[in-house]
This record gives sequence, structure tokens and C-alpha cells, in this order.
Amino acid sequence: MRNLYLFFRKHYFFFLFLILELVSLILFFQLNTYPNAAVFRWTSSIAGSVGEIRSQISVYFSLVKTNRMLSRENAILKARMPEAIYLSDTHVYYRDDTILQIEYRFIDARVINNTTHLRNNYLMISKGKMQGIEPYMGVISEDKIVGQVVSVSRHFSWIMSTLHKSTRLSGKIQKNSQLVSVEWPGISPRRGLVREIPKHIRLYPGDTIITSGNSEIYPEGIRIGTIEEVQERPDENFNTATLTFLTDFNSLEFVQVVVDMFRKEKMELKASFKEL
Amino acid sequence: MTRLATGNILRFVFLILFQVLILNNLNLGGFANPYLYVYFILVLPFATQRWLLLILSFLMGISIDMFTNTPGLNAAATVLMAFCRPWVIRMISYIPEEELGIRPALKIHGFRWFGYYSSILVLIHHSVLFYLEIFRISEFFLTLLHVLASSAFTLVLVFLCEYLFYHKEK
Repeated sequence: MRNLYLFFRKHYFFFLFLILELVSLILFFQLNTYPNAAVFRWTSSIAGSVGEIRSQISVYFSLVKTNRMLSRENAILKARMPEAIYLSDTHVYYRDDTILQIEYRFIDARVINNTTHLRNNYLMISKGKMQGIEPYMGVISEDKIVGQVVSVSRHFSWIMSTLHKSTRLSGKIQKNSQLVSVEWPGISPRRGLVREIPKHIRLYPGDTIITSGNSEIYPEGIRIGTIEEVQERPDENFNTATLTFLTDFNSLEFVQVVVDMFRKEKMELKASFKEL
Repeated sequence: MTRLATGNILRFVFLILFQVLILNNLNLGGFANPYLYVYFILVLPFATQRWLLLILSFLMGISIDMFTNTPGLNAAATVLMAFCRPWVIRMISYIPEEELGIRPALKIHGFRWFGYYSSILVLIHHSVLFYLEIFRISEFFLTLLHVLASSAFTLVLVFLCEYLFYHKEK
């Protein structure tokens, strides 16, 4: 027994190292899988307030751009106001509430923490559970993709950016609705990879890829990017292509979280199908 | 002694803030991200108890992890780096450890010694950090490029710190 004690005492440096390294690795592999990304819930308020300060400072540097964006959105919204519409006929239209149901709601939030240089990037936004945000919701900026909520605390949410190793977006080619899949191969925050392009489809630089709406994360028609270069793959079943993201991930400031009002129903339907 | 401790505590806090607020947003050419916070471990006094060295490194790593939401990633890298530190010092020094002075310093030990010392440790740290984060064999060489570019960036900042802040120290 005494020898064992002496042995540990003699090599305590190594054993302490082993313990700390194991703790770190267990933390990393157990808690770092992405549906449960924000494990440090208790620290997310500290990290959140630090991020808040930083974003409050950096928000000033892009006021011009923000203003331009806002005025453009104002113009679009104004065009939808009743005053902007001249009724050229005498028909009266009713809005039937049982026909028009809202499928998507949008919660706007500010980005307070954002990276683009890592292989797996995350964003933190200034709204959380209190505002009705839940994991798996999609996040967009205007009509461009940003990412997916992976974890929420009371006031903040962690978003898995599209710039992530596990990104698999279900997209489609805008002009002919052919389904493709979009990934992020790393390195450049501007460039993505389109896979599973059917061989018979002619794709040209400049063609737009939008979301397909198949995945319960994004609504249909959110813009992903434009094709940059098509790579023919003679020995494979599908072609691939590089695309330029329309989202400027490096300058994200305001985003909208997509709330799918029918998500529960859709998931229940899917689950019932599996049980058969 | 108290002065030494205060200096290290201040450096600990300052490096965390600097890393989280500024360096984490910095990126050269899509490849190089500096991780200057390892400077804290590089310049801990020679007389630091070895258990304290490990614990401090773990705390440093886990603090950075809190802000970047990567539990265990930076901690694993810094703990391994701290474990290698005494071994690296022994390997590259010709004189016994007791005669080396208070702490590893560019001014005292010279460009060659400090260069070897810091580049070996920074390379160990960055290799663990990047390979663990990416954890994919298919991106091996790409990751290697990341490691080398980032290590170079970090080392430049380490040397800058040595020149700017500790040049007058005896």
C-alpha cells in the first residue's frame, strides 16, 4: 500500500496530467456534438454580456450599411401598404381566415458573437427561450440563409452557422427545381460546395440555389448562393459545383429566426410514418 | 514573490480578454488564427510547482472554451502543452534548471533558446487544437497548413510581446 502511495507521489505530475487531459477530452467528445452545443449554460450569460459589449461597439462601424438595408426594406414594405395599391376594379375581396393561416413567423435578433474562421462556426444571438426560440429552428438574414438554432438559454441562443462541418442543406436549383445538397468544405467563408447535381442537368455560373423547404428548418425559397464553377465528374453518378454564398457571414448583424407554426404537425406525421 | 504573482494574474486576465475580444475575430488569409493566450503558459516562472502549472493551464484553456463554446478543446491543448513544458526546457538547455533565472525570457536566454522553446510548445498546442477540432483524416494536409500558418502568427505575437513589454525587465 505504501509503495503504491509512493508510486503515485513520485509520478503525480503524470497522473494529474492524465486526469486533466481526460476531463478535457471527455468534455470535448461528450458535450461538443452539435445538437447540444451550448453546454456551458451557466456561463452563457457571461459570454453573452461580453459579446453584447463587443457588438454594441462594432454596430457603429456599419451604420451606413444598416441604414441602407433598412431603407430598402422600408421601401419593400411600403409597397405592400394599402395606400400603395390602386384598385382598378370594383370587386370587394375578403380575407378568409380559415384559408389563410400563418405558416411561418419571424423573430428578429441581433448577432452578438460570430466566427467565420474556424472549421465549425457558431453565432450567438440576443434572443432566447423567453422570446420563443427553440432548438432546430432555422435562422435567416433578410432572405438569405444563416444557420440553425442548436441551443437556447433564457436570453440567448447559439446558432450553428452554415459554416460548419455538419452542414447538409437541402437546396434546389431555382430555375428548374432540381434538388441538390449544399455543404461547406471549409477555408473560405464565401464558398460552399453543391453536391448531387443530376448528370442531365445543365448548370451555369450565376444560377441561383435556394432552399427546397424539405427539411423543416428553412422555408422554401430562401437564397443560398450562386453557382461559381461546375465540376463534371465522369466517374460518378452526380456532378458537383462550387457556389458563392449570398450571405456575408463575416458582417452579420441582424438575423431573423424562422418559427414554423406547423413543425409539430409535420414531425408527428413523419413519426407516424416510421411506426408503420 | 507577491509582485510575481500579481503580474501573472494580471497577464492571465488580460490575455483572456485580448484573445476573446480581439484575436478570435482575427484571421489572415483564411488560414492563420493567432492564439496568443498560450503566452501566459510560456512565461510562467521556472519555479512554478508542476501541479500548479497543469491546473493553471487547464483553467486558462477552459476559460477560453467558455467564450468560444468549445468545451474541452482549448483545455486539452493547453494541458498537453503544459505537460511538455518541463521536458522541453530540459531538452534544450545546457545549464541546470536552477541557473536559468526567474522565467523564460527572450532578453535573458537569447533569440535561439527562446525561439526553440516557444516554437516547439506552440506547435504542440496548435496541432492538438486544430486536429482535435477538425477530427477528420481526409483534411489532414489542409489542417497541417492551418497549424503551421497559425503557429507562425502566434509566434510573431509572442516575440512582439517580449520586445514591447518585457524588454526593460532585468
